Amino acid sequence: MASITYKGHEFEVDEDGFLLRFDDWNPDWMEYVKDSEGITDITPDHQKILDFLQDYYRKNGIAPMVRILSKNTGFKLKEVYELFPSGPGKGACKMSGLPKPTGCV
Amino acid sequence: MAFISSGYDPSSPMKNRITDIGPRKYSEFYPPFIAKNKGKWAYHEILEPGVLVHVGESGDKVYTVRCGTARLMSITLIREMCDIADKHCSGYLRFTTRSNVEFMVDSEDKLKALKSDLAARKFAGGSYKFPIGGTGAGITNIIHTQGWVHCHTPATDASGPVKAVMDEVFADFQQMRLPAPLRISLACCINMCGAVHCSDIGIVGIHRKPPMIDTDWVDQLCEIPLAVASCPTAAVRPTKIDRADGTKMNSIAIKNERCMYCGNCYTMCPALPISDKEGDGMAIMVGGKVSNRISMPKFSKVVVAYIPNEPPRWPSMTKVIKKIVEVYAANANKYERLGEWAERIGWERFFSLTGLKFTHHLIDDFRDPAYYTWRQSTQFKF
Ligand code: HEM
Ligand code: HEM
Ligand code: SF4
Ligand code: SF4
Repeated sequence: MASITYKGHEFEVDEDGFLLRFDDWNPDWMEYVKDSEGITDITPDHQKILDFLQDYYRKNGIAPMVRILSKNTGFKLKEVYELFPSGPGKGACKMSGLPKPTGCV
Repeated sequence: MAFISSGYDPSSPMKNRITDIGPRKYSEFYPPFIAKNKGKWAYHEILEPGVLVHVGESGDKVYTVRCGTARLMSITLIREMCDIADKHCSGYLRFTTRSNVEFMVDSEDKLKALKSDLAARKFAGGSYKFPIGGTGAGITNIIHTQGWVHCHTPATDASGPVKAVMDEVFADFQQMRLPAPLRISLACCINMCGAVHCSDIGIVGIHRKPPMIDTDWVDQLCEIPLAVASCPTAAVRPTKIDRADGTKMNSIAIKNERCMYCGNCYTMCPALPISDKEGDGMAIMVGGKVSNRISMPKFSKVVVAYIPNEPPRWPSMTKVIKKIVEVYAANANKYERLGEWAERIGWERFFSLTGLKFTHHLIDDFRDPAYYTWRQSTQFKF
């Protein structure tokens, strides 16, 4: 597995650029990922989604369903895509350090 | 090779981005005689295996030549199809819902030239590139999946066994001697992508051993509750494991005696790999159909629980398929699909005629509905 060094932190990642361990996450990870996810600046709206994903994952052990993400953050799916061009899975979950989405995606 | 940009700018990915334009409209690619007679067809005939004629109310005739394809194909082969379409069909062609290719012309002379051109084309190894057939009461193309070519959950291959089966039943692709059409489909795992659950004959890849558990990675790579909820028999549960350093880590435990190796938990969790060279193989199902003709649509039913994987030609599997086809062809009534025939004569007769061994694996044991598949009657034949 590859590892990435950014601002003195070492992050172990898979071939799709997802963190191998949620516990390795720190704010610099978001800084590092945002470029490859088409994001110039991390705004408070971005942060709200990233925080919710992390809270939900810590409490429930899974990523929230898209409808739960929308309902709790108040962002419609269209707005989530405006913030994270790759979408909630590949974009937002990757930045917040959650495991890679699985299933027939 | 050096990098060649398409014009996409990775530093501003949303610039000049085109999205939500959907597919091209089908009517852009109609041959002129199709566009002209659309919705005004009077009748059709099958002139010979693989060749159809549709007659419009205007009197216009369209001849269609259907050819088998391997579905998985190179751009080189697609270009060859385009050359054929350019030469005979003014550049038009179409693909069917079973991945055959159809070339259309508007006169008998063009039809003759087209047919002899197609029939003459072969690969260096000797296989036909464009075998003509697949119409009427025969065996047409096999709907199939990714197999070892691209998927990560298969228990068998797709392209390999499909080539082996089509070689075995090739004569029935090019003739129409069966009581009714016979659809064969293959899926490489029980996700059953495609049509195995509703085909006259279905081939499906199965495992026979529970998943391995990569304990070091379960909690890192997987959302454990998803893996628990993915199990149809509730064999998966969360657990804690003692690390060497005395701390605990979250993992998964599987009750092997409840696991029937569906592999669904691996689909959700990469730390539960299940494929196994000796364990994996295929099950054969028969008797499904999707049309409403005479009888309602039917699911296919498992009649062979396990046949080992035998790459590259799967001889045991192709033998079973051939046997089922021959017994059906010899016994069923005209228009009778395989499932209708098996239900009319009774499944015990299906097993005695085909010589397939009835094993306990074939008796449904999944939840309440299993009961309805048992025989609540003394009506049976010895
Ligand atoms: C203690 C003794 C018996 C018990 C507990 C018993 C129980 C039953 C039960 C539960 C059924 C219903 C089966 C169903 O719904 O599918 C049934 C049906 C039947 N029993 Fe008995 N039975 C007894 C004695 C007998 C005897 C002595 C006879 C004949 C001389 C008999 C003849 C039948 C017949 C013919 C049926 C079928 C009725 C129908 O489906 O129309 N039973 N029995
Ligand atoms: C020549 C003698 C008999 C004839 C022709 C005869 C004929 C029939 C027929 C036509 C039925 C209806 C079958 C159906 O619904 O498809 C029937 C049902 C039945 N018969 Fe007879 N029967 C005869 C003797 C007997 C005897 C001696 C007994 C009992 C000791 C008997 C017990 C029954 C019972 C219990 C049923 C109901 C079966 C069920 O629906 O589960 N029958 N019989
Ligand atoms: S049937 Fe299973 S193994 Fe085959 S392509 Fe579909 S998901 Fe993959
Ligand atoms: S393979 Fe299927 S039955 Fe076995 S534990 Fe996984 S999900 Fe359950």
